[in-house]
Parts: sequence; structure tokens; C-alpha cells
Amino acid sequence: MRQFFPVEDLARDERFVQTNMAERMKDARTAIELKESSAKSRGATKRLTPERHDASDAARGLMHGIMVGEIQALEGAGRTAHDFAAGDGTNDTVPFELKLDMARQAWDEARHVEISAKLSDWMGTELGEFAENTVLFEAACSNDPILRLAGVNRALEGLAIDVFTQMKEFGDVAGDPYLEFCEDWMLADEVTHVKMGSDWLRKVTANDPDRRTKALEFQQVVDKLFSFGGARGESPESSFSLAKRFRELAGFTDDEVQTISEMDAEALAERRAAVLAYREKVGANAPA
Amino acid sequence: MTDVSTDAGRVTVTPTEFNFVKFDADEIASLVAGLATMLEITNPIRVVIDETTPLAKLSEGLEGTSADSTIVLHAESGALEDRQHPTSFSATNSRESFGRILLRAKDRLRPDFADAPSDLDLSLEENAAWDTYCVGRLARLGVRVNQQRWRYNHRNRFGFHDGVDVAFDALWNADDLGWSAMLSTARG
Repeated sequence: MRQFFPVEDLARDERFVQTNMAERMKDARTAIELKESSAKSRGATKRLTPERHDASDAARGLMHGIMVGEIQALEGAGRTAHDFAAGDGTNDTVPFELKLDMARQAWDEARHVEISAKLSDWMGTELGEFAENTVLFEAACSNDPILRLAGVNRALEGLAIDVFTQMKEFGDVAGDPYLEFCEDWMLADEVTHVKMGSDWLRKVTANDPDRRTKALEFQQVVDKLFSFGGARGESPESSFSLAKRFRELAGFTDDEVQTISEMDAEALAERRAAVLAYREKVGANAPA
Repeated sequence: MTDVSTDAGRVTVTPTEFNFVKFDADEIASLVAGLATMLEITNPIRVVIDETTPLAKLSEGLEGTSADSTIVLHAESGALEDRQHPTSFSATNSRESFGRILLRAKDRLRPDFADAPSDLDLSLEENAAWDTYCVGRLARLGVRVNQQRWRYNHRNRFGFHDGVDVAFDALWNADDLGWSAMLSTARG
């Protein structure tokens, strides 16, 4: 069976249209407030809560993003279980127990895909209705399995913890019993996946500090990409926040959580600056 | 900024050229004019699009109180785009979005909608109820909509139980309601 599968070759049927982070960042529109917002608006907050005027549509969009993310997480975990030979963790090998963890994760993700597809249907979303961003699988394409653990298990699955926490709360406040229940169960799995990444990263790099440093740097790059220009953060401009408690349970240190929080704020500021620069260039403003 | 006018000046679109999205003002004007004809709306219509945000808020209002008042439609670009190809125009999504607020504007011309608050003053419940009422009528006119999307929207505002679904079905299938009758149907 083929190893090291490129993102361009992911199997999808005609319902799905793929995009990537570069394409997404070309979109110069933004939901971020660039100036003091008018109080009299049904869209005053960007936080994904039922109070938002477009709450159900915003939740549908995020749910579809979760579903395609689960498909790619399944593909990524499956590839990592298969791409590397069993060994002691050196010379492109991985411990057999790590492969077992990846196989277990693939099974979890397959279940999550089914759950997410059913939730999408419940919320009135057609499969493939929104563009699929392949950034998640791209993080699973490294030739170093430890970088994959850092990028996928710690950064991507860490993002999943943040998103699922927000969606669970959304379901709770809106009174949607299925959404709340399903997100809660998937959240429990995601905490386990992140913990796997944290544990294996420490074990495999115990005698290789350079490799560990490189992996953690890669994680930071992915974390910043996954903040989607400030979509995650403590600002009211952000759709969802960093789930600090669950990240702690998943093996993140306080310093690591703080670093991610700072990167989220940086990503928001950078996005805001880029949007303002583009608007100045084209001389465009929102209509009065 | 100048406007694009079609259909003997009945529909104008602002802006005429787009910097953030791949939209065509003439195409939008033509689509809105076609919808207005289908919905038997003869008023002049002014469309204002905010292309700087990917959000999808829609609102409408009337300039004046007479039967031939100009209808003003405000749309954020996300309400008109192809969700598989962000920033590209989707006639299908636009028909649903503009159809929904054109029907609201038509409702506002009725005396029994005189008590309806302006769009930005509607409560979330009132907003959802009116959406259900409008989209149900659009569906019967042959505009492509996803009923489950609107059912979910309705449940989010009124609750997740069977009684709400019964009220949703009644409102979805209703015609010729006034503002108070619409709200009481929504509340079951």
C-alpha cells in the first residue's frame, strides 16, 4: 500500500470542493470589527453563541468544518499508523504502541465523521455545502512522525478541543440535546488524542532535545495557522476561545497554553492590519 | 458611487463594481427584478451590498409610508456567495436571500404589518418566525431552499420539542397572515 500520501490525492466525491489556507487568506473580507461597532445591530458579537443573530447558520458552517476536519484527522491518523515502520523511534521508525494509538485514533475519527455527518443533516447542511480547507491533512504530511504528532495531535486536536467545547456550550444554551450530547462525547475522545500526542512526543524525544524543539516549533506554526486569523481567542471578535482546562487535562503546560493564547491575539492583530492595508489600497469601506 | 439600474429603473444596486468579491451588479439587479416580478412587487427597489464582510446578515426597509415606497434591501456578501467557492456569486443562494427579504418588504406594505418593528429592532424570535413564514412561501413558489436548515433555525429560537415542530409546519405552510397572527402561529 502506498505511503506518504499527498494532500492533492485525497479521495473525495463530486460533492466536495477543496481549498487551502493560502486561498482562504486571499479573501480580504473580514468579520472583525475594524472600528468601534454600532451598538444597534443584531450582529454585535462574533462569539458563537445562540445570542448571535446568525447563530444557526454560523453553527452549521462550523459543524461542516468539524466534519471535514474529522475526515482529514481519520486520514492523518491512518497514514501515521501505516507510513512508518515499527522500531525504537529513531531513524523514521515509531514504537509499535504508538501505531496502536494511531489505529485507535483512526477508529475514533471514523466514528466522529459519522456523528458529524448526522449532526450536519440534523442542522440542515448538505455534505460538501461549504468548501473543505485541507490545512488539517497538510499538517499530517511531515516525513517526521514526531512533527505529525505535534502538528496533528497537539495543534489540530487541540483546536478540536476548543471548538467542541464551544459547540457543546452552544447546544446546551440553545437547548439542542443532540448537539450537546454528541460534542461532549467527541470532546472526551479529543482530549485523549491530544494526551497521546503530548505523551509520545515526550517519550520519543526524551534523548533528542533538538528533535523535540523542532517539533514544538512546528506545533507553534500550525497553532498559529489554526487560529484562522483570530477566529480563536479571548477577544469578542473571536468565534471561540481557548479551552484552557481541557488543554491542561490533555497534557499542555500553563506556559504552552499562555503561548497559544498570545499567538491567537497576534494572529488577530495581523489579520486586522492586513485587512486595513487592503482596504486602504482599494479605497473601499463598508456602506454606511 | 454610481448605481446600476435595470428594468426601467426599478432596481438599483450599490456598489456598481466590487473589490472584495466576484459579483456583478447587473446580474444582481436582474435577479432581484426577476424575483420582484415573481412576487408581484412593483415598487422601486434599492439594493445595498456590503462586500467587506463574509457575514450574511440581511435587512430590508421602506423609504416612506406610501404603497409605492422604495424598498431598500441591505445584504452582506456572505448571503449571496457560493459557499463552496467563497467570494464567488451564487444565484441559487441569492434567490433565497433576496426572496426572503423581498417578501418581508411586501408584508410591510400590508396594514396588518404596521406593528412590525424595523428589521434591526426585531427580537431573535420574531426574526426567526418571519424567516420561516417567508421561506415557506418561497419554497411553494419553486425557489430552492433547504427546509431542515430553517427548521433548525426555528428550533434554536423556540425550542427543541415536538410542539415547536408543529408550529413550524403551520407557519411554513401559511399564507396571508398579519404580523400578530404570524407571531401567534410561531408560538403555537
